[in-house]
Amino acid sequence: MQDPRIRIAAAAVLSLSAFISLHGAAAVFLWWVVFTPRCRLARRFPLVLSLVLMIAFFSIVLEIFGGGGLSYFFRMTVILLTGMWIYDEQKSGEFLAAGVWLFGQKTGFELGMVAEMGMQSLVSVAADLERIRMAEEIKGISWGVRSLVPAGLVLVHGALVRAEDNAELLAVRGYQCGGTLCPKFLTSTSDIVAGVFVVVVLIFSLVPVSEFFILYR
Amino acid sequence: MSATGSFHEGVHLVSGDVGCGKSTLALIMAGFFTLSEGTIERKGIKSCILSLQFPELSVTGLTVAEECASWGVDTDKILDSTGLHGRENESPLSLSRGELKRLHLACVLDQEYDLLLLDEPFSSLDCREKARLCDRIGYKKGDGITIIFTHEQNILPRVDRIWEISGQALVDCGRPPDAFFRWRHVPPVIIRLIASGQTPDNLSLDDLREAECRIHG
Repeated sequence: MQDPRIRIAAAAVLSLSAFISLHGAAAVFLWWVVFTPRCRLARRFPLVLSLVLMIAFFSIVLEIFGGGGLSYFFRMTVILLTGMWIYDEQKSGEFLAAGVWLFGQKTGFELGMVAEMGMQSLVSVAADLERIRMAEEIKGISWGVRSLVPAGLVLVHGALVRAEDNAELLAVRGYQCGGTLCPKFLTSTSDIVAGVFVVVVLIFSLVPVSEFFILYR
Repeated sequence: MSATGSFHEGVHLVSGDVGCGKSTLALIMAGFFTLSEGTIERKGIKSCILSLQFPELSVTGLTVAEECASWGVDTDKILDSTGLHGRENESPLSLSRGELKRLHLACVLDQEYDLLLLDEPFSSLDCREKARLCDRIGYKKGDGITIIFTHEQNILPRVDRIWEISGQALVDCGRPPDAFFRWRHVPPVIIRLIASGQTPDNLSLDDLREAECRIHG
């Protein structure tokens, strides 16, 4: 999907649809199968697997103590897949462009820049995590539960240092509020088709399933 | 980037501009990245240690003492050599970048290895610490293969061979002092000495001082 406006809106609406109802989550999953390049996720398979396992753990806890764990697992997994898709497709500067287009040069610029910084931080955290695992391998430490606390501390420390550096840079350059940007977008036919189906998915998720399946009543 | 070459016992210097691929080459040599083409043959290399550019990413201990222990080195000896006695219970992340780099390098250089890869070992160190590190590398000479990846231009150790990454390829400049005439990244001080008719024997401060003395008679 080329147009970041449709992509961001699609991700928000799909996440909402998956969250609203179980059949909505099923529709989002179908949308994801049809409209996203799923093979790219294969490259991130270990990360996807570890996140799915984490969701599975909380789902089991929920199922045991309150029920609805299976529904939670399916909906959260679909939201995760949507998140992975937008993370994979997003290019630097697109949040800024979409923010300015939507909310203007002041508030939009601010929101877009915050989103860009968030994405940049995610990329840096992923790169740091890769280096941390290398360092552990060099030291002969196998990755496990005991690695989580030191690795987490290093990641948080790195994120705080980068945030401070960014804040200093903005202050030194005299940044106060807003900016100037003339965003340009490329919209393909497939973007529009995918966008229309996102709306269909939302409507489907809002309508009770019994309205579709008469036998269910 | 393409690289062809044989690294024999001794100290090798790989120079190049920032972002030219030195760290990537170091990670490939350490076996963390796979090659798109070709092979790496390691003869007689049983142990390999890579010192990552950013020392905080190598931190796995919650205290300075734990960090030393994670490398399997004598904590007291390391604290003595780095001047960190009395700070063994502090978090390694509370140390300054220079202090942490000193601690990291002391732990790395205390290991037994056949292949030692140092990625930007001089970054974050002051002149005195850089000189100390050069002495330490010289002292370890004969223990195997040491490869230093750096863009440092002022304080360097005595090396056996100089390489540089130029035009996305690894170039063997040869042994000093002959290498100085083929080396694109030759330090300005050596250019000045050669222009004065005195070519230093090697890169260390002693070699440069000796060449300087020859100029002044």
